[in-house]
Amino acid sequence: MNPGTYSIDELMVVTLARAFDNTTRAFNGAVSFIPVCAYLLARKTHAPELVWAASSIAIDAEPAQLGESTLSDSIWDGAAMLANSPFDFWAYAQGGHYNTFAFRGAQIDRFGNVNNSVIGPYDTPKVRLPGGGGMADLGCMIPRIYLWSTTHNPRIFVEKLDFRSGIGWGDGGNHRADLGLPGGPQLCVTNLCVMDFNLESRSMQIRSLHPGVSLDQVREATGFELVLPDGEIAITDAPLDEELRILREEVDPTSERLREFTP
Amino acid sequence: MSRMKKTSSIEEAIARVPDGATIALGGLSMNSTPMALVRELVRQGKKDLVVVAIVNGLGVDWLIAGGCVRRVVSGLVSFEGMGLAPNFRKAVEAGSCELEEYSEYLLIARLRAAATHVPFIPTKAGLGTDVIKLHPDTTRLEVDQVSGESYIACTPLPVDVALVHANEADSLGNVRVNPKLVWMDNEIVNAAETTIVSTERIISHRDFLAEPHRTTYPRFMVDAIVEIPWGAYPNSCFPEYTHDTEFYDVYSKAAAQPEKFGEFWEQRITGPVSHTEFMGAQGGTSTLMRIRRTST
Repeated sequence: MNPGTYSIDELMVVTLARAFDNTTRAFNGAVSFIPVCAYLLARKTHAPELVWAASSIAIDAEPAQLGESTLSDSIWDGAAMLANSPFDFWAYAQGGHYNTFAFRGAQIDRFGNVNNSVIGPYDTPKVRLPGGGGMADLGCMIPRIYLWSTTHNPRIFVEKLDFRSGIGWGDGGNHRADLGLPGGPQLCVTNLCVMDFNLESRSMQIRSLHPGVSLDQVREATGFELVLPDGEIAITDAPLDEELRILREEVDPTSERLREFTP
Repeated sequence: MSRMKKTSSIEEAIARVPDGATIALGGLSMNSTPMALVRELVRQGKKDLVVVAIVNGLGVDWLIAGGCVRRVVSGLVSFEGMGLAPNFRKAVEAGSCELEEYSEYLLIARLRAAATHVPFIPTKAGLGTDVIKLHPDTTRLEVDQVSGESYIACTPLPVDVALVHANEADSLGNVRVNPKLVWMDNEIVNAAETTIVSTERIISHRDFLAEPHRTTYPRFMVDAIVEIPWGAYPNSCFPEYTHDTEFYDVYSKAAAQPEKFGEFWEQRITGPVSHTEFMGAQGGTSTLMRIRRTST
């Protein structure tokens, strides 16, 4: 693909990367190609101090390319430290030394809570999903939560979760702070738009629409009512040629990120 | 006086696991699961096991396919981007296997409470989620009387037998994970009454004495050592070999056709007797060359 033209995965990665800065200290879980690309891109462009622990294990890894799993040693090359999970990782996460985590879910609600456990009733599920893994933990521990979805539709963005595997802003408002939990979800980047969270209600609101996407399209793809910003709705900024070049040539030359777009 | 040797055949080691036992599997997702030990549990026809597996996939799926499992205690069971674990999904949806679901850290805390003989370990993990509502007896929502802060009290989760995989061991039971342990296996070893370790190689005790800072588990924490090269296959054993994507692919395809899965299961998993025969059934040398890790 030529500079100047870009695909939706590239727009999502670049948008997320720009949300990170030199204070970002991040790690990743399973099937997290979009945020992994974003951490690497941010580190190679505007945020050289950014910390990323590949698979939550390999700190400051510099993989020449990504592999088919974001939880395996295929992305650990060049690390400065292999951290042990309970002694190192969970201590850094609970101590607030890691401050950034990106997750997605089979269902996401307006407050950025996620479900990755069941579709349907818990005891007689229509689909038994993998489970939340560390979502329930890290949603409580990490102050800067980012959500993403490569398939923005009403089955994922739902009015009510079938099960809350991980907490975002909880019941909204001050719920999260009342529980004694730090921060909360900051952004949700999808294949249609970028959303943030209203500062009072903590409900998802549109920040920008991707080029060519209409507000009606996003509303139809969302199972709850979105908060609209005051004034005109922005269009998501296009990636710069240099960002695209680094993503394509240095971060993910084998386009592993497209694994998140296969059905 | 010489010290007791812990080396064992795989048959003898797994014979120590009684039906109905609570076992725990080491590794994480597609990494470092003691798959050869899991296969032997299936081959010996174990029944009614409670399987603790913090983040797992294929190990749990094999035990369920083998009819060994009464209940799974886990935070996540999947094949990552390659899909859902098919037999796990089917069994839980059908109600033929119980699932006791926690999150990753809640399980670590429960194991640590068992390991350290305290009534609970407090954590903020899980606050505000439905996960803590599932098991109010074992993950209790409480308020600290002094600070007024809410926390989850994670009660002990004792384990009968921990099954873990490692790179090197000596015959006395000292064990090394190379270059160091990164997964949560130490949590299950510490919580377990009995620990069985499969190892890529047995090396001399002198090698442990020469580099004692590299030892992961001391001999008194380990009850049986089973030497099984490629013993984590089809999962990875860092830094030596990676997981086998092709296996996951054919396994998932076979599981999607129930009428054909039995044949696949017999030919590829339960039929081969020794681990060498098993590796032969997976394609032998060409498979090993494919998964061997060349850079670290």
